[in-house]
Order: sequence, then C-alpha cells, then structure tokens
Amino acid sequence: MEKRIDKEPSGVLAFFGSDTFKGLLPFIGLVTVIVVMNVLTEGSILQPKRIRLLLSQVYYPMIVATGVFFVMTLGSIDFTEGSTLGVASIVVSVLSFHSIPLAILGGILTGAAIGAINGFFHVRFKLQSFIVTICTMYLFRGVCAYLTTETAVPASPAIKALDSNELKIGITLAVLFAAWFLFRFTRIGNDVKAIGSGETAARFSGVRTDRMKFLVFVAAGALTGLAAFVNVIKVGSITATAGNQLETQILISLVLGGLPITGGAKVRFSNIVVGTLMYTVLNNGLVMLGLESAMQQLIKGIVFLIFVALTIDRKALKVIK
Amino acid sequence: MESNVASGTHRERTELLKAEHIDKRFGITHAVNDVSLTIAPGEIRALIGENGSGKSTFCQMLCGIYTIGGGTFTMDGAEIRPRNQVEANRLGVSIIVQEMGTLSGLTVAENIFLGHETPFMHWGIKDSRAMIREAQRLLDEYGFGRIKAGAVIDHYNFEDRKLVEIVKATYMKPKILIVDETTTALSQNGRLELYKIMDATRADGRSVIFISHDLREVLEHSDTITILRDGEYIDTVNARDVGEDDLKRLMVGREIGSAYYRADYGEPISEEVVLSVKDVTVPGQIDSVSFELHRGEILGFGGLSECGMHDVGKAVFGASWDRDGSVMLVKDGQAYLAIDSIPTAIRNSIAYASKDRDNESIIVNESIRNNVVLPSLEDLAEKHLLRNKKLTRFAQEHSGRMQTKMQNVHQFVSELSGGNKQKVVLARWLGKGSDILVLDSPTRGIDVKVKQMIYALMDELRKQGRSIIMISEEIPELLGMSDRILIMKDGRISGEFRRSQDLSEEDLIAKMV
Repeated sequence: MEKRIDKEPSGVLAFFGSDTFKGLLPFIGLVTVIVVMNVLTEGSILQPKRIRLLLSQVYYPMIVATGVFFVMTLGSIDFTEGSTLGVASIVVSVLSFHSIPLAILGGILTGAAIGAINGFFHVRFKLQSFIVTICTMYLFRGVCAYLTTETAVPASPAIKALDSNELKIGITLAVLFAAWFLFRFTRIGNDVKAIGSGETAARFSGVRTDRMKFLVFVAAGALTGLAAFVNVIKVGSITATAGNQLETQILISLVLGGLPITGGAKVRFSNIVVGTLMYTVLNNGLVMLGLESAMQQLIKGIVFLIFVALTIDRKALKVIK
Repeated sequence: MESNVASGTHRERTELLKAEHIDKRFGITHAVNDVSLTIAPGEIRALIGENGSGKSTFCQMLCGIYTIGGGTFTMDGAEIRPRNQVEANRLGVSIIVQEMGTLSGLTVAENIFLGHETPFMHWGIKDSRAMIREAQRLLDEYGFGRIKAGAVIDHYNFEDRKLVEIVKATYMKPKILIVDETTTALSQNGRLELYKIMDATRADGRSVIFISHDLREVLEHSDTITILRDGEYIDTVNARDVGEDDLKRLMVGREIGSAYYRADYGEPISEEVVLSVKDVTVPGQIDSVSFELHRGEILGFGGLSECGMHDVGKAVFGASWDRDGSVMLVKDGQAYLAIDSIPTAIRNSIAYASKDRDNESIIVNESIRNNVVLPSLEDLAEKHLLRNKKLTRFAQEHSGRMQTKMQNVHQFVSELSGGNKQKVVLARWLGKGSDILVLDSPTRGIDVKVKQMIYALMDELRKQGRSIIMISEEIPELLGMSDRILIMKDGRISGEFRRSQDLSEEDLIAKMV
C-alpha cells in the first residue's frame, strides 16, 4: 500500500525539470543565440570587426553585472545602476581635467556612496531593496539630468586617449577575477549565498547579515562607479541619458545567464559572463537585422520571459527582498 | 458494544465514523500505519499515544489539513475525503487545534466565519454588520459574551482566542468534533467550558475525538480510548475498565522507561558555573529572568507555549533584537565575557537549535554541507581562504557521525525528513565543538528512534562536561532528561525543581498555569 504522492516526473520530462538542465540552459542559450544570429545575419555577426564591436559593448555592463550579481545572490535587487553610472560618469569627466587617478577614485567613491545610501535604507529601515532602489533610481536620474541640462558634460582629451581594448579587457578581467576569488575562496561567497537562501537561518548561524547586505550594496555601487570610468573612456562626453535603462539590461543579462531571481544557493559565477555575452549578441543581432527598436524590445521581452519561466526555482519563490 | 448488529439502518446508528486502513508517510517517517477504527454516534473517543504516535496526523487527515495517504474514512455510510478544512467543515468535521488557530489582523467575527462568509455576502459585498451581529449572538449563547465580535482578534489573549476557536469549530454543530490537545492551553475555567461543549455534543448524538496527554482528564471525560504507538493502532478500551497505569503501559508498550531517557538519578550537579544570566528582560516576552548554568548540567525549561521560555533561548544566544540585563560566560567563578550578539555567542562556544527549525536552525534551500560548515567557516579557513575539499570532508565527518540519512552532503536540506534535519543541526554544532548547547524543542516532530538517539547524545555530551539548556513543551522529556527544571509563567521563572524520580507532571503543571 505504498503510495507516493509527490512523485517526481520521470524520463525526458525529469531531465528538463532537473537542476542539471537548468545549469546547462544558459550555455545552450548562448550557443543558440550565436548560431541563430549568425544564420540570420548571414555570417556577418562573427566577422572580426563585428566581434571587436561586440566586445567593446561588453566591458562596462560586465563590470556592473558583477556587482549586481552579489546583490541578487542576496535575494535583493538593485535598480540604480543606470543613474549611478550617469552621475559617476559626470564626476569622472569633471575630475578627468585634473588627474586621471583622481577621476577613477572619484567615480568609484560616487558609486560607493550611492550604494551606501541604498544599503542604509534597505538594512537600517528594513525596506525592501526593490522599493529603495526604485526611489534612488529616480533621485539620481534627476541629479544626472540636472547636471547636464545646459550642455553635455565633456571629459578631458587625456581620458579619451586611454581608449584601448587592452585596458578595458584588463580592467574587466581583473574585476571578474577578484570577484570570483572572493566568491569562491572566502566566506563572503558562503555568507552571501546563505543570506539569499534563508536570511533568518543565516543570522542564527552567525552570519552578520545586516553588515554583509550593506557592504554588498556599497560594493555594487563602487563597481558601477568603476564602470563609469570605462564608459567615459569610450563615449567622451556625458548627456542626461547616460546609462539609461542599464538596470534592466543588467537584470535581463543575469537572468539570461541563469541566475535565479530569488538568489541563494543555486547561483553560479558563470551567470555573469554567459548572461552579459548573450544579451550583447542578442542585442547586436537584432540591430543588425534592421528591426525597429519597438520590435527589438518586444523580442527581448519574450526571450526574457521564457528564461525566467524556465530557470526560476519555484520552491524558493518568495518576494524579492 | 453492539457492533455485530447487522441491519443497515441500525449500522448507521452505531457507526458514525469508520476509518479503514488509514496510512500516511512523511518521507521516511511512517506517521500513521494502517489504522482502522470506528466511532459510534454520541461517543467521546479519546486518542492517546506518545508524541509522534500519529494521533494528530490521523485527525489532520480526517479534517483535510493533510491529504489522506492511504485508506478511507466513511461517515454516515459515505466516503469522505476532504481537500481542506473548509470542505471538512461542510462535511461535518471540525477541529480545535493545539496551537494558535486564529488569524491575526481579522476581527473575531471574521475569524469565526472564515471560509463560511457566503451567507453574509450580497452581490459580492460582505455585510460586516450582519456577520458581527451573528457572531456576537453565538458568543453570547456560549456564555463568552465578554468577547466582542467586532474587535480585532489580537486584542484578546491566548485563552480567549482559544474560546473563539471553540465557537468557530462548533457553532455549525459538526458530526465529529476533534479536540487536539487544546486543554493544555486553557485554564481551569476554559477547560470546564470545553468539557461542557464536548458533553453537549455527545448528548446531541454527535461524536468527539479527544486528544490529550493528560491521562486523568482522558479517563474522566471520554467513553472509549484508542491507543496509538509509532503510528500503529494498538487497542481500544472502555474508559470505565482501565486506570492510568494500564494506559501508560499500552502507550509505551516496551521496556522504554530506562532506555529512552537517561537512567541515572541523584548524580550531583557540578558546582562550576559556566554561564550566568542576570535580570534579562525582553519587552513583551520575558521579564527579569536570572539563572546560572553549571558545567555538565542539563537545565530544562518548561511552561505553556507563550510563557517566554523560547525567548530565553534566543536571549542566551544573543539573538534577541531588544534585550536588557546580562548574559555572561563564567570561568573559575569570574564572569568574563558578555554575550550580546550571535557571532559572539558562536565564537565563544554557544550553540542554538531553534524550535522553528526550518526558518531559524537551518537553511533549507542550501546543501547539507554548506549548512554544517556555516558556523565553522572561521575555523576552517586557512589564511582566510576556504577549500571546498576541506569543507566537504568536515561536513561528511560530522553528518556521518550523526548518522544522517542522505545521498551525499551536497543534497539539499529541503529533501530531508524532520529528524534528519535536526541531525544536520546537531552535526553543525558538534562540528563547531560548542560547550554550551541551547536546544529548543530538540525532539519536536521527530520520530521515536531519532528521539532516542538525541537523548543518548545529550547524555553523552553532559558526561563530557558540556552544558545543555533544553527548552521543551513535553513534560515527560523535561522530567526524563533534566538535572534541574525551571518552569516559566508569563515571562518569569515560577518554579525550580531538582531531578528526582518522585517528581510528577502535576508538580510542573501546577507552576505553569
């Protein structure tokens, strides 16, 4: 009389529902997107010139995504990347007339300060990060618009002269390596994942949850500040729309990369790299196909929805902190 | 009993409820194992057995809280298989549970008519006034007129809320009323009210299933008694024909007494104090609690569920948000370190297993490995660096020592049974090597075998000179395991007992209520 109620589906279905498949999905997705885009654009997306262009669009989102990866692992969310990048870019540009190292430091500190504001309200007042960062997103977008009302903010020629793929690749790889090291070999990775999987239990296991959450928001802001430097090198002058919609781009990238939107134990560091690459290829491919921007958005929306539905961990589902 | 009378109409009268081959498993735990019984109309049937014997699970299947794992319930000749409590109510089965069964934030009236709002709906709009009026009429009828139907339930204390639950469960005159360990939460007056309702139900030709640990109460207020043990049906006896000792023997059934709990009595408690708690107050929870914990001692804390004992555990672990007073570690008679945060507690060898295992003790959406290593990461790091191999080995060693049933240490905790989850909790603190263990309800929802193992482990730890604070809602466990027992009431310590064979459950209960 043995009856098992919660029977797992067997065979092929079980494989598609399994964690193994969910883990592979981003890689499958990345290859599929590259192949499909290559066919649709008749091979032009894989030309060396194109690849270089693609890569030039990958650097600063990847740096930003690295910080947001930690935020989302906590089970929180951050919507301020776009406006942080805008404000920090202005700071970098203005300071670039004095000294380049000062500009870099200024960018990082600006980002960290905005992250600290987010973290403070999120942790101290126990507000959901979702609410806090939507508010600060508008706040700093406003600051950015105010500073650029008269005219675009130019950067010094010295900083524009730094524009080289080597430097940008170097910075991006250094950030990725450092973050991977912290995530994998120090207790930061364990603590952040533990908070994402179960904050109360993590606190009762000795994790300093509040401090860790605050620091992660500061770090994410600082990385966006660093990305602002890379952005200024590339664009040279800052307008009111700098970094516009960056937050959605990062969110979509990470989810495409397989990051569970609830954070926690099942995140993989590879989510950052795979996701950012996939988003960039998809985005470029759609542009090259000559689709209208409305159509591009529609397609991106559909792909995003499908990925969320496939990768989300329903057992761990709860409101985003 | 006249159960062998075969005529159809007559059978309906002698059998209100028939349970056949009822079965339920939770993972590897066989909670209810092929239980069959019949209950006559106008019968008060007590269901007794040790914790984990399956009596609550059995009833919760009958009233739709759990799905029926196997077998059938037949009421008045028709099979019933309620999918939820509201449906069970409609079929004529209702339950008063042991824990809080009202929803906070709603009014008394809304609680009473939860799931039965239809009579008060007009064109999709709820007529609150009519609902309150009707609820008040019921409350008055039950003699609970001082409870106002329009007030939010949170205005009332635990006992009054229990009374509201009683109204909620009985106003529709269910054919089967299940009273699941409700009396422990009630004062003498509340109990009398409940007995009155049970008697009225019986006089009406309806039936009651009465679950209680208090054997005297069972003998006094029921007609027949069914004994369950480890999920299995043992026997049904007439209340008139038996005494407390018969019931105990039937419940325990084997040479448990000595093997289950620790056997020693009269061992002296060490003079050495390891932890001193002074005037600890947590607003709304505990009120200037002071005590000392000795080396190698099991200090039991008992009381009713809202007496504050669970908060004492949190306070000792530095986990209270808002705490006055001091918790100090003591060495050679000198208090040398204040425990004011969880990391301080863990670093200084204090461990804590919460009553709320899934939320506070363990991260269910994480692997066994990462749960076991989490408090010990500082010890496992070499120059701040963690090595996966080392973490895995550490987790394997300690979860293996606890004989955790698992595929491997990478399995997620969410897939384990309650007993195995608790083994993981204990494994992590054994791994940490904690000297002071605060165990809140350590055997809650755990089957007999694992229970026995946990008791043996506690005894072993005690002999190693480690100290244990055991907070428990189970009085036999307190009596069986503690060197000293502190009883709490309304946030204060109301009594202290020394380990003794002569100590009875009644002695403790007297200090609780």
